[in-house]
Amino acid sequence: MTEHQLSGAPVGDAEANRHAVLGLRSPLTPEQTASRTRRFGAIYYAEHWIRRMRGYGWTVLMTAVGTPLVYLFGMGVGLASLVDTGDAAFDAGDGTTVSYLVFVAPALLATAAIMVAAEENTYMVMGGFKWHRTYYGPNASPLSSNQLVDGHLIGFSVRMLITTAPYFLFLLLFGAVEQPGTAWLMIFTAALGGVAFGMPLMAYSASLEEDKGQFAMVQRFIVMPLFLFSGTFFPLESLPGAIRWIGWISPLWHSTELGRILSYGYAEAPALTVVHVAYLLLLGFVGWVLARRNFTRRLGK
Amino acid sequence: MEQTTAPRLAPAQLDPKGRFLGSLYARNIRAVFARGLKATWGSNYAVMISGFVEPVLYLVAMGIGLGSLIGTVAGPGGEQIGYANYIAPALLAVSAMNGAVYDSTMNVFFKLNYAKLYEGMLATSLGPLDVALGEILLALLRGAMYATGFTAVMAAMGLVTSPWALLMIPAAVVVAFGFASFGMAITSYMKTFQQLEWVNFVMLPMFLFSATFYPLSVYPQGLQWVIQAMPLWHGVEMMRQLSVGMLTWATAGHLLYFVVMIGLGLVLTTGRLRSLFLK
Repeated sequence: MTEHQLSGAPVGDAEANRHAVLGLRSPLTPEQTASRTRRFGAIYYAEHWIRRMRGYGWTVLMTAVGTPLVYLFGMGVGLASLVDTGDAAFDAGDGTTVSYLVFVAPALLATAAIMVAAEENTYMVMGGFKWHRTYYGPNASPLSSNQLVDGHLIGFSVRMLITTAPYFLFLLLFGAVEQPGTAWLMIFTAALGGVAFGMPLMAYSASLEEDKGQFAMVQRFIVMPLFLFSGTFFPLESLPGAIRWIGWISPLWHSTELGRILSYGYAEAPALTVVHVAYLLLLGFVGWVLARRNFTRRLGK
Repeated sequence: MEQTTAPRLAPAQLDPKGRFLGSLYARNIRAVFARGLKATWGSNYAVMISGFVEPVLYLVAMGIGLGSLIGTVAGPGGEQIGYANYIAPALLAVSAMNGAVYDSTMNVFFKLNYAKLYEGMLATSLGPLDVALGEILLALLRGAMYATGFTAVMAAMGLVTSPWALLMIPAAVVVAFGFASFGMAITSYMKTFQQLEWVNFVMLPMFLFSATFYPLSVYPQGLQWVIQAMPLWHGVEMMRQLSVGMLTWATAGHLLYFVVMIGLGLVLTTGRLRSLFLK
């Protein structure tokens, strides 16, 4: 289809020539802009999202660099001094054992991604609908509600990678990684865990009309227990059977276990590894479908 | 009696002249306190109550899960105690700090900059010290409630071994008072929500490093001094000594630290409120 047919209002030949001479691009017609937006809307929204993130760039950087240092020092060096002198041993699966620092490192990385996902999918989503109303502008354009969801997903995934990549470098520096060859993939498995946690949360946040402290409750009754009971600081088996299920349903546990396999070759049945990946993908997918549905409903009102 | 001065419009007791701290303090903390109580309990009491859950979760996860890996640790006086016994008093101190800091930073920031609450209050006869103390008392009530609940959970888990442990409840209030009196002053310097992140940035290392989960002796001497200068370490040590009933001069020293902190914090907060609103 040529420009003329698309626009309906033909650009005069003289005008086109003038643009060619000056080396300018002809301005896009509204129809062209619309069709581009229909195609790349998610990317456009992600771009907006990432530019907006620069507004609190210092916070992002600070948490990305400061938090791993503090946790690695506190847990990996401080707590390790108690754990490693006890008779606890962390089985690497092949008969050898690993130190507490190596054991806890993949869990800390996975947690960092989940924390970013929790932060970006609660108040930020509600703000988009209610306080800042960021979603209504794009929604009045050819950009669809679904593309807003996708753009937001791309945006917070980028922020998770900004957090997990430096984290991984710190793990290397602290000597918390035994197999650097495969361990770098943790950057992505941690982010996958974040997506698996973040998408259902995004769907939930999009369904809330008003903040009556639900997010504080999510933080307290979901994020916090997942952080503490997902085999993060000690193997899941050291908990009584009655609360071990918290780990099984937790995306954090699955992404941590994947991290352990990659980081120090923690041996487990291959079928279980498949379950970890499949569970994370499933959670992320279900959340994505629900988020799209909730965004479309809410913006269509 | 013969009238010598012009009749006053306001009742005599509202006149700030000739009264101790007259321009700062109207002796009406209860108005601020009652307003806060009504506002918080009216809107989100579920959030209020659930704040008590956090240290309990930590205690269960770390005490049982991690405790099974660690076994026993040297408590105050060098006696070996179970790991759950070791961290429980520390978690209480941390929760007192967290509650007080949250109340006096996040909540106060909102009231200061968005709700413009204090501006209204100070336009009445209330002085900055009334406002500061009223808000802080509210935070302390909450802290005392959580501390009582947590101590009950400790008792239920069999972690209370000395009657002195009951003193942990007032001690938690003292710790909370120390942090709350400073938190409000610091908040008054903040301009954006993002700056509040710096508060977390100071609290996280303090939480992890203040001998909460393992003894201070892990660290090199220089770092130990830095940690010992921090308020949370004093809170943790004081709680730990109370929990086993081992009171020494060091306990008094920790308490003194908080008394000084409370005094300085109140002076600073009152001064800030005055310079912000009563110029």
